[in-house]
Amino acid sequence: MSETPRQITLDEWDRAYERLQAAGVPQPVYGGPLGRHVADGDTRLLKLRFDSSLAALQLWNFLLTEEDRLRAARDAGKKLVGTMKDLGTVPVMAYSLDNLVAFYPDGAWWIPCVMEVNSGLLQIADSLGIDESFCPVRAMLGAFVTEAHFPIPDLLTCSVGATCDDFSAIAQRLNGLGHPILWWEIPHRRPPESDEDGVHLPGGFSAPRSQIQFVKAELERVAIALQDLAGRALDDEALARGIAQANHVRRLLAKLRDAAFTATPCPMPALEMLIAEMLAIHFCSDREETVVVLQELLDEVNRRVLAGVGYLPDQAARVFWVNPVADLQVLNLLEDCGGRICGTEYLFAHALDPIPLDVPPMEALARMALADPMAGSAVDRAARIVADIRRLGAEAVIVSRIPGASHCALEGEIIGEIVREECGIPVLEIEVPPLTDAVYPSLRTRLEALVETVVNRRSR
Amino acid sequence: MRYAGIDAGSRAIKVVLIGDDGREVVAKGQVDQGVEQDKLACRLFEKVLAQAGAGRSEVRRIIATGYGRNAVSIADTTVTEITCHAVGVRQLVPAAMTVIDIGGQDSKLMRLDRDGRVRDFAMNDRCAAGTGRFLEVVADRLGLSLGDLGPRAARSRDPAVISSMCVVFAETEITGLLAAGRACEDIVAGVQTAIAARIVAMAGRNVEAPVIFTGGVARISGMETALQAALGQPVTISPDPHMTGALGAALLARRQCGSMKE
Repeated sequence: MSETPRQITLDEWDRAYERLQAAGVPQPVYGGPLGRHVADGDTRLLKLRFDSSLAALQLWNFLLTEEDRLRAARDAGKKLVGTMKDLGTVPVMAYSLDNLVAFYPDGAWWIPCVMEVNSGLLQIADSLGIDESFCPVRAMLGAFVTEAHFPIPDLLTCSVGATCDDFSAIAQRLNGLGHPILWWEIPHRRPPESDEDGVHLPGGFSAPRSQIQFVKAELERVAIALQDLAGRALDDEALARGIAQANHVRRLLAKLRDAAFTATPCPMPALEMLIAEMLAIHFCSDREETVVVLQELLDEVNRRVLAGVGYLPDQAARVFWVNPVADLQVLNLLEDCGGRICGTEYLFAHALDPIPLDVPPMEALARMALADPMAGSAVDRAARIVADIRRLGAEAVIVSRIPGASHCALEGEIIGEIVREECGIPVLEIEVPPLTDAVYPSLRTRLEALVETVVNRRSR
Repeated sequence: MRYAGIDAGSRAIKVVLIGDDGREVVAKGQVDQGVEQDKLACRLFEKVLAQAGAGRSEVRRIIATGYGRNAVSIADTTVTEITCHAVGVRQLVPAAMTVIDIGGQDSKLMRLDRDGRVRDFAMNDRCAAGTGRFLEVVADRLGLSLGDLGPRAARSRDPAVISSMCVVFAETEITGLLAAGRACEDIVAGVQTAIAARIVAMAGRNVEAPVIFTGGVARISGMETALQAALGQPVTISPDPHMTGALGAALLARRQCGSMKE
């Protein structure tokens, strides 16, 4: 669509969809009016604003039909792998075998937001002893109990160790409910000592070779389970193909992020960019279609950049956002307050980096897994954020905490201190619960104040 | 011409009217916050106008601030309390480098640059610890008025240790302290120390002097002493600390009209 980019409501999208249909614009198999998802209970959509492009419509429809795809894959004889607490490693392995489909059960953490807590998933987690002192990802427990949001996978894997304390507790509870889990351990990443052989990792980190060997051995255990499930070999050749295709997705995302974050006016809203980035982790259960969706989005962004059009004023405050938000509405709010996203670190920066091709595939994946921001220190994470802030010219940073998430409790403060010292720009820490309605005015004040601060600083 | 600032805070609405030169506060007023805050704000505004002997047409611009700012229908625009407090303090204490504002439901710390502009700020979480609400809960629990808190705290020789940063849990602790026979004075002083500690934790490192204290809580004696002790440096209460936000809003209204040389 060539019209001026806008953010539109669900109603507006449904009217636009009717026009698309009347004009005979072809739709993918998962296409349709966005409003139909409200009938499935996704009532939060009524409060969001969406990008007006056809590419964005495909992105949303792709996201909101994942369950259908998983059930169709099972019906077609494919095996399902639930890859928990894994931001982009085991899915690459699973998709290297053509009869496996990997998905991300942790993604259920957004259900309480999208369904406005009407799904009852948090209450089920409460009843299982996993209360609100845990991260909203506890909704995943409820999803396993109800079996209403994704089919029960044929294999469940979960990384454990230096990842996330409360997720480990949630997954242990799931295990106790009779869902066997293949645990694979990831150590806390540390730089090599003087007498150790060191290895460079994606993202500019380094680790002792012994840690890489350890993670590689863990992933080899996972590979055996995947082979057993698929009934076919996961050899280096298959893995290399899988890595090449994952890298294709990552390259597309890198181009999309670069174009969307650096252009003025801002060519794509924060919400659509968040969803696009999430595709890097698990391909929304269809790697090939992920490529199609991202390519369309990139084409749209490139068209807008070339035409010099966007949906926000040129002077929108350039904000770097750290951590994903439990309530999607908050990204709309930033834009309402006069801000725009110019960079992100949603806890899976490593899944956006290309997987190394100069080492054997399993070692490359081990390096990638160990580059996970959560596997290292907050100082490491901050260093990468600072580098990105400088590259992308951010004027302010928002660190959004996820209530109950153990890794968020202290990291925000450390990242904030380092960013202030290194970059000299304002840092705002906020907490974003799954539904922000009750704290919306207070969040608005914080975001408006941040934008005012940026604008006032410009006048120096 | 006049310029008005309306600070619709969580506990009170404040209105400040300034004159053409921006140096003189022509009139000001305050009323307790309520459910119908727009009506309350409008009535107070009319009252302040009457106090100044001015008509509505003489007010060139009105800016609303505070958590209820969007509900004030007579405002021409809104600006957050962070910016407004900084502007108000700049007018009153030009050398200020740090502003601590403790209101009814929020506490904030603003770092200013040499020109008085906000460089960075921090705000409390959703939790009421570190806000005036904490003091209200304590006063209520101890059967005291807010005005009693300062004099009581001043009499303490051995402030109690309030370990919880949550108002609800702290209330439980206070119940325990009372049961253990601790004096009211020590409990109040302990609560003031806990609030100050919360603010300092929020501030992080590098709190640059001079530090100016604004907001309704600044009027409760003893709070600035607790903040000074926690920060390890002098803290000065802004003149009319509860009016600073409204004053800043009025000054911004004037600035927006372009009648003041920057």
